Amino acid sequence: MDLLRALAIGALFGIGLYQLLRRNVIRTAIGLVTISNAVNLFLLSVGAYEGVAEAYAKAVGQRSDALPQALILTAIVISMGGFAFVLALLYVISTRYRTSDNDEVKGLRG
Amino acid sequence: MSTNLLAILPFIVPLTAAAVAILLRRRPRVQAWWSFGAVLASFVVTTALLWTVWRGGQPLVFQMGAWAAPFGISIVADLLSAFFTFMTQLVFVFGFLYALGAKDKAVQHNTFYPLFLALLTGLSGGFLTGDIFNLFVMVELVVMAGVVLTAISDDRYGPEAAYKYFLISTVASFTLLFGIGSLYASYGTLNMADLARRIAEDPNQPLLPAALVFLAVTFAVKSAAVPFHFWQPDFHTASPTPVSAMLSSVVVKLGVYGFMRLTTLIAPHAEWLRVALVMAGIAGVVFGGLGAAGTHNVKRMFAYSTLAQIGFIYVGVGWGTPQALAAALVFAFNHALVKSAMLMLSGYLASRAPVKSASFEVVRGIGKYLPSAGVVFFLGSLALAGLPPMNGFISKLALFQSGIAALSSLRPEEALGYWLPLLLIGVAGILTVTYTVRALIKIWWEPFEPRTPEEKVKPYGDSLLAPASLVVLCFVLGIWAQPLLQLSQDASAWIAQPERYVRVVNLEEGVR
Repeated sequence: MDLLRALAIGALFGIGLYQLLRRNVIRTAIGLVTISNAVNLFLLSVGAYEGVAEAYAKAVGQRSDALPQALILTAIVISMGGFAFVLALLYVISTRYRTSDNDEVKGLRG
Repeated sequence: MSTNLLAILPFIVPLTAAAVAILLRRRPRVQAWWSFGAVLASFVVTTALLWTVWRGGQPLVFQMGAWAAPFGISIVADLLSAFFTFMTQLVFVFGFLYALGAKDKAVQHNTFYPLFLALLTGLSGGFLTGDIFNLFVMVELVVMAGVVLTAISDDRYGPEAAYKYFLISTVASFTLLFGIGSLYASYGTLNMADLARRIAEDPNQPLLPAALVFLAVTFAVKSAAVPFHFWQPDFHTASPTPVSAMLSSVVVKLGVYGFMRLTTLIAPHAEWLRVALVMAGIAGVVFGGLGAAGTHNVKRMFAYSTLAQIGFIYVGVGWGTPQALAAALVFAFNHALVKSAMLMLSGYLASRAPVKSASFEVVRGIGKYLPSAGVVFFLGSLALAGLPPMNGFISKLALFQSGIAALSSLRPEEALGYWLPLLLIGVAGILTVTYTVRALIKIWWEPFEPRTPEEKVKPYGDSLLAPASLVVLCFVLGIWAQPLLQLSQDASAWIAQPERYVRVVNLEEGVR
């Protein structure tokens, strides 16, 4: 199970980073969300690592460490706000520069 | 309990004021003066906090919701936190003063003042918190407020700069979360004092170096240390003038504060971190100086100059002797004052120029009509270049003295880490003189040649009051530096004893 979690986090992070570095602005935003999910999954597995029972245990009467779940909740709220803002920014940028290509947004170069 | 309440007021006051300022959005003048009053009140509270902590000799600790220490969020105001908070609030008072007299459209926007107060909240909270996850929340608040303020800038490239910085800093925030998660997995706590205690007991956890690298990358991105600086000149050039003055002077200090906590409290054993800091500092001094000498825009020149000045501070933090840490603190304080003054001045020049821009093509020669701004600019350049009688001289003197003092007590083979940086930053310091003199010559010496006959210098513009008072403050701190030197020496003596910080947070024993 530990191996599966590690692989899932690594895969999510890799996909997110790849999308973040692509040229399309929408893919960039998607990459951001994917990385944030990788981070949240990492925090969840941190709780599973230390608590009495894993966060997704089905057994009744056992407790897992609740703190990482509180952290995830906070991180989700913050990244949701950030994601909404980045979508608004993308709208402004795509109307102003008439492009969806990150490399064409280069007014500040020089 | 009542004095401990002082520890949270520096960020509770602006936070509450920001909420009220949103309600006042239909009355712009009332909103502006309300915000200015709030920042003054918050500055008074912070001064009281600094005075109490300094004179009392004890950190003030506030346990949020009265939860005992490792479980709840502790707000810890030791002298280092109080010092940085005081510096931030002092500079923000002048930032609000400039915003009140600014002609930017962004400043008239009805979300400007709430966001500006939110920026102050995030910074003060980040300096004062004793909980590493709460630090993440405060960092995010700073990022969001700064990015939105840049996106509504008058500069047509505002949204672009905001977009770039937002992507980079969000990724940096994710690495901070990875670091926090790794620390929690290894040590089972988020409280900085508790972490320091547990790491000192067991520094061989496999995830600890990874966590330290994650945290260091985050702080390096936030403070634009050189390999992570690429967003900074764009972002600080495109934001509205009062905001860019704050971003380039105090917001980057959040990373400096993070590194100071990291190298003294959380991981005092990590020697490699200090070596990396010295190297990043030297790279910053050289690269920032060269970059500033080659720019085409006054604002951008000062943004590059921040890279160099942050480099000086990091060399001091990396040396890590008490004297060097004190010098880094003095440097940080003086840099905050002078850099905000210079960025406000470049905003002032842009507001008087025929076209609203601080590019050298536009502002070339307009100084003929602005003699008083010339005096302020000249004195500010002296402070930036580290020449007497301004405060920049004191900070560079303190830094060099600390390096030489450390050098004389070492064996020759260990001394390479000191004399090489000393030599390099001495040479690179001359670059500062080069680029400020270049700006002075271009703006005040060369003739004003309008590109069309009807192009004229505007008869009115932003208020010169805020940068002028900041430069006066720089001058006062240059000839009467003793209080600041004493304060920073006391602060560095405090952070040299992390066990004191740990003891005062009053952790419950036998947890976990």
